[in-house]
Amino acid sequence: MITIISKIELEGTDNLKYTDVGYTSEESVINQINEDYDLTLGKFLGENRTKLEIGEVSVSTFFATTDFVNEARATIEDASDLGLIQITDINQL
Amino acid sequence: MSAPVSVNSFSANPTPGNNFYQFSYNVASGTNRLLVIQLTMSNLRSYTGCTYNGVAMTQLHTTNRGGLSQRMAFFYLIDPPTGNNTLRINFSGSQWNPISIHARNFTGSGGVGNEGRTGGQSTPNTQSLTVSDDSMIMATACSINAISTIQIPQGTNRSFVTHNTNRQVGTGAISTGQSAGAYNIRTTSTFGSVTNDRVEILGLSSSANGDSGDFFMILE
Repeated sequence: MITIISKIELEGTDNLKYTDVGYTSEESVINQINEDYDLTLGKFLGENRTKLEIGEVSVSTFFATTDFVNEARATIEDASDLGLIQITDINQL
Repeated sequence: MSAPVSVNSFSANPTPGNNFYQFSYNVASGTNRLLVIQLTMSNLRSYTGCTYNGVAMTQLHTTNRGGLSQRMAFFYLIDPPTGNNTLRINFSGSQWNPISIHARNFTGSGGVGNEGRTGGQSTPNTQSLTVSDDSMIMATACSINAISTIQIPQGTNRSFVTHNTNRQVGTGAISTGQSAGAYNIRTTSTFGSVTNDRVEILGLSSSANGDSGDFFMILE
């Protein structure tokens, strides 16, 4: 299985936008990306799900200090036709 | 004649944070193509449809599992466009809870056949599905507790992907081609109750019948 790396950023004023930016099979890259996600956007979403659902909190609050976050949790058997670059080092992102 | 060939499975567990989620997905060329997608998410929102390359997919079901506060669904598209296109899932509003997504495509398939859906029952949850010759069976399970096994048929563990949608989901389990008959599909969780949803993916022999076509009688 290949893991797809998605860039997550603010769309409009209150939504998320996902863009696939690469793929990897390096466990260290996957772990680094997801640890960063869990400590930042993942934490914000986890703490604010109910308020986000009812509009009491906007995700733009999070993106006021962050341009984007990556996540690497989508897997696919074959990424060769997706037109993505292979990421072997997190510094490529 | 032959079982379907499964191609290029995709699994993801994102928080959409929007009233849709979409991803690029490649459908292989070949004849008798079938694209399927299996979904589970919080029931605070509903599915309002799926499209592939802008073509509406057929809804097999959407099922509200009120006890688990989850909505599970299955969509499919016969003879989808081939190549790299966008698969899009639409919701009734912004979904801020994680969604479990599993997509795969097939060649050599006669489409989607029988299906069964059973809500949470004490583990193990064992249910029957009758299938035609050469069919494959896909199954998914949801529970408050971790999914332990998805057995298709009972006694044969199939690999599956685990997702967290604020509930535990096992998705993507699939059998090899089966002979015609009734099979028990078993889902288990570490504790408590677990759901059992199952779908028949038809092979090519299943779609043939004697109602139409050309017939020849040889007289000597």
